[in-house]
Amino acid sequence: MNTSPASDREARYGTGIMVLALVSLAAVLAIAWGEVAGHRLVAGGAVGVILLAYSFILLFLRKGGFTGV
Amino acid sequence: MYSRLLARLLSWTLRLDVAINRVYPEDFNPLYYTGGLSNLFLTVLVLSGIFLFLYYIPSFNDAYASVQFITLQVPYGQIIRGVHRYSADAFMIAILLHFFRNWFTDRFRFSRDEPWISGMMLLLFSGFLGVTGYVLVWDERSQLLVAMTGRTLAAVPGVGGWLQSMWQGSSGISNLLLPRMLYLHVGLAVLLYILLWWHYVRIRHPKVWPPAVWTLFSLGLIFLLTGLVPTLSQPPAHPESVPRTLTVDWFFLLPYVGLTVLSPLVLIALAVVITVYGLYIPYELPETPAALGIRDSGIAQVVDANCTGCELCYYDCPYNAIVMAPSPHPGVTKAAQARKLLAIVLESRCVECGICIGACPFEALELPRLLERDVQEQVVAACRA
Repeated sequence: MNTSPASDREARYGTGIMVLALVSLAAVLAIAWGEVAGHRLVAGGAVGVILLAYSFILLFLRKGGFTGV
Repeated sequence: MYSRLLARLLSWTLRLDVAINRVYPEDFNPLYYTGGLSNLFLTVLVLSGIFLFLYYIPSFNDAYASVQFITLQVPYGQIIRGVHRYSADAFMIAILLHFFRNWFTDRFRFSRDEPWISGMMLLLFSGFLGVTGYVLVWDERSQLLVAMTGRTLAAVPGVGGWLQSMWQGSSGISNLLLPRMLYLHVGLAVLLYILLWWHYVRIRHPKVWPPAVWTLFSLGLIFLLTGLVPTLSQPPAHPESVPRTLTVDWFFLLPYVGLTVLSPLVLIALAVVITVYGLYIPYELPETPAALGIRDSGIAQVVDANCTGCELCYYDCPYNAIVMAPSPHPGVTKAAQARKLLAIVLESRCVECGICIGACPFEALELPRLLERDVQEQVVAACRA
């Protein structure tokens, strides 16, 4: 089993990315619910959550060494 | 004293950069993209503003109702209104960060005076644009803003009455007010883009857009805020009575708070002094190269015989001081004989930095008072010493 600092880092940020992906999925459901139930402020806020989650996913991809230099 | 203060502020700014670079990858540092972030928020403002413009009616009887219609009836109208409102605040924050960062890091000297002056104007007009936006809602705050602004303008000696009627459309509140505000709001937004062109024209590689991480983060934060703290109007304006309490937006309406402790004339004098000083900042300290201890290398010269027209200097010059023109004749060296273009240095734009010298692999540029052999001699002398 590889326990180098690099793989530790990858595991840490990889877990973060998975959590954020789940948060994004929940936000998508919130958008659908907001639209169906007429709570459009919730839907708008959920769009914000998705964009925020994506921004951190991009950051974690980079910091985890999955992308970039 | 002022120089020492600037040196201290520069040191703090650089330390902040280092601290942020420990958390973020260097090319993600948001302080490197304050200008790009301003541009992003301006774009969001324009797009959401076009949407709001389609529904807005600029008349006393209908303005408030049309804003309420956008907020409560139009699908996602409240979200778009909130995005417009929070983007405006974010725009001001980004501009102010950009302003202070460039001030503290000395990025206003020599050929950077034009970006500085245009940036100051962008800041001033953006502030005024925000005020006109608040007036358009035509609620109690709008009414108070119109009254406070009119009273302040009226205090200007000599032309006060004229300024007040220019602002309001007449000596009192008239039906001309809201169309005038709408015109100022939209017209000034167009003017911002003209000023932006001036802001960028001398910069070769402006960072006009933030990295994707910060674009997503900024948009996400705006949408989230819109959902959590919805934008609502205050009670509608009543021309027969002016409200007494102003609900303050600290990014746009701060000068109006000053009116509670300062007289209108003192506030105007203060605003004029701050503005004039801001415009004077690039010229405040001695600007001659000798006074600043900078070498006087002379305007960069193109060595016609060696230039191959490769454009490397053209792309590397940060000041847009090099243009490429069709070559009237071939060069002398073998590499330059087949050239189609020739580099030309615009003297008025050259700051004698020498970047083009480093960019050119063909020794086709030189600084007349700092030739390569002089540099080599200086390096040898420094090594011996």
